[in-house]
Amino acid sequence: MSAIAIETTGLTKVYSSSLGKRKVEALSSLNLTIPAGSIFGFLGPNGAGKTTLVKLLLGIIFPTSGSAKILGGEINDYRVKSKIGYLPENHKYPAYLTGGEVLQFFGKLSGLDGLELEKKIDEMLELVQMTKWKKSKLKTYSKGMMQRLGLAQAMLNDPELIYLDEPTDGVDPIGRKEIRDILIELKNKHKTIFLNSHLLSEVEMITDRVGILNKGKLLREGTVKELTEKKEEYKISVEGSIESLPAEVQQDANFTNTGGGYYSFKVADTQDLNRILDLLRNNGIIIKEMVQQKNTLEEMFISLIKEAEGTADASRKENVK
Amino acid sequence: MKNLWILTWYTLREAMARKVFIFFLIISVLVLIVTGLIFSLSSNISLGAAGATPFGNPITMVEMMIVSPLASLCLLLAIFSSSSFVPVMLEKGNIDLLLSKPVSRDQLLWGKYLGGILVVLLNITFLILGVWLIISIKFSFWDFYFLNIILSITFTFAVLYSLIVLFGVITKGSTLGMMIAYFIFIILSPLLFTAKDKFNAFIENKFLKDLIEAFYYIIPKTSELMGKVTVNLASGKAIEDYQPVLTSFAFLILTMGIAISIFRKKDF
Repeated sequence: MSAIAIETTGLTKVYSSSLGKRKVEALSSLNLTIPAGSIFGFLGPNGAGKTTLVKLLLGIIFPTSGSAKILGGEINDYRVKSKIGYLPENHKYPAYLTGGEVLQFFGKLSGLDGLELEKKIDEMLELVQMTKWKKSKLKTYSKGMMQRLGLAQAMLNDPELIYLDEPTDGVDPIGRKEIRDILIELKNKHKTIFLNSHLLSEVEMITDRVGILNKGKLLREGTVKELTEKKEEYKISVEGSIESLPAEVQQDANFTNTGGGYYSFKVADTQDLNRILDLLRNNGIIIKEMVQQKNTLEEMFISLIKEAEGTADASRKENVK
Repeated sequence: MKNLWILTWYTLREAMARKVFIFFLIISVLVLIVTGLIFSLSSNISLGAAGATPFGNPITMVEMMIVSPLASLCLLLAIFSSSSFVPVMLEKGNIDLLLSKPVSRDQLLWGKYLGGILVVLLNITFLILGVWLIISIKFSFWDFYFLNIILSITFTFAVLYSLIVLFGVITKGSTLGMMIAYFIFIILSPLLFTAKDKFNAFIENKFLKDLIEAFYYIIPKTSELMGKVTVNLASGKAIEDYQPVLTSFAFLILTMGIAISIFRKKDF
């Protein structure tokens, strides 16, 4: 098993209009490395290039330039896909088949057969709680049921790498929790999961690493902790009152009383942090607890996208001048 | 090879889920019932006085009279129904899933192609075998050559279907391919054959003659495949002229070659 699940180097995709006059860069020189056995969340507004990346990695579309490897194999080698599972955002299964038959078809295409396939189908349907719907035609399925079936299909061949595009779309809250549990279980089995989702709270809950994409460019990438940490903002709980400190000390650190004996303050760097802590101690304040402040993934995502849009607007205005 | 069979089989399943193939199957069953009733109720039918026919034997001629219009109907229905096999496969959400499996693009397209042919082969076989059995039992005359026409009709469809596949890949739709196939089958092929065969002597303009000749050789010769070639096969004679078969086969190979070449490079 390869230690790296996905590796892209300068991966670029440019779409041209039919006459070739208008070009849209859907993905721009993407360099990304995703280690095996992790859950990677890919975030971005609509049209950011998330689905383009998944399609490139699956050989559904072809790169304009750059290269990519999945599980150590080239993306244009279809045989590597025997180790991959995929749940597209708008999957479409033949309505005349039953749930069991759909799994049979895709299982066979993935190289499974006979008793092994039958066993696997029953196992997967049980996992996504669809056993009793095995023999029902798809036209009787609800959106949530289709999504569960899609997930079963994606996991059927026991893949090493699973791409999931909006896996909880149309699923009720209980179902979402169940799907999250399945994903965590897969991760525990050292499977790599590549997750495209608009539900940032969900991504925050289960992913190890997150990449944020906007207009085809990777804005940030890292662990959820790295991305959500407010490096310069801390919260402390103290014994004693900070308000009783001399005004110049209070103004120096710009303390804000957040209630319940907690104060937040901002620092420039680690040295500055230590200087302020010393200042408090020297003034008889006992520090009981200190935590680094965090953004939610959603807050971070919105501010990052706004920042990127602002930079792009400014750059456009500059070009017009 | 296994993938190819899976895709072919599921194309057959897709076809069976469509009402038009069931419709043809019902018509075939009705024709077989009516044929059976006519021949079982008319105990004194004698074809001995019919004399020589283009098929050699009058019984073969009766079989052909029953089968010919139905075979044409089968082809018309098959073109209509199979024209959406490729576009449906290329629909968003469907093609993504198929391409995410360890299956080559060539296998996907060949699977759809062979599946379509298999559907027509089964439909035609059912009809022709049924008619042949009823008449053979009635007259105690077992003309096995008659069964050869299963091949000529299926081959005619295979040629037209390659065109439908090509336009399906290019346009991701079924209309254009279906219209062109109908146009060739109903109008162009008979027209070019007639122009070349019957009116060539009357056309004085050399450019027009060459143009008709060029078109004649390029366009698949469905008219001759369903006509002369089928008659030859049904009567157990050697095919007089292999040119229509060979040029139509070359058309099929070329069309499928272009379709595969486009499909290999296409973004979905």
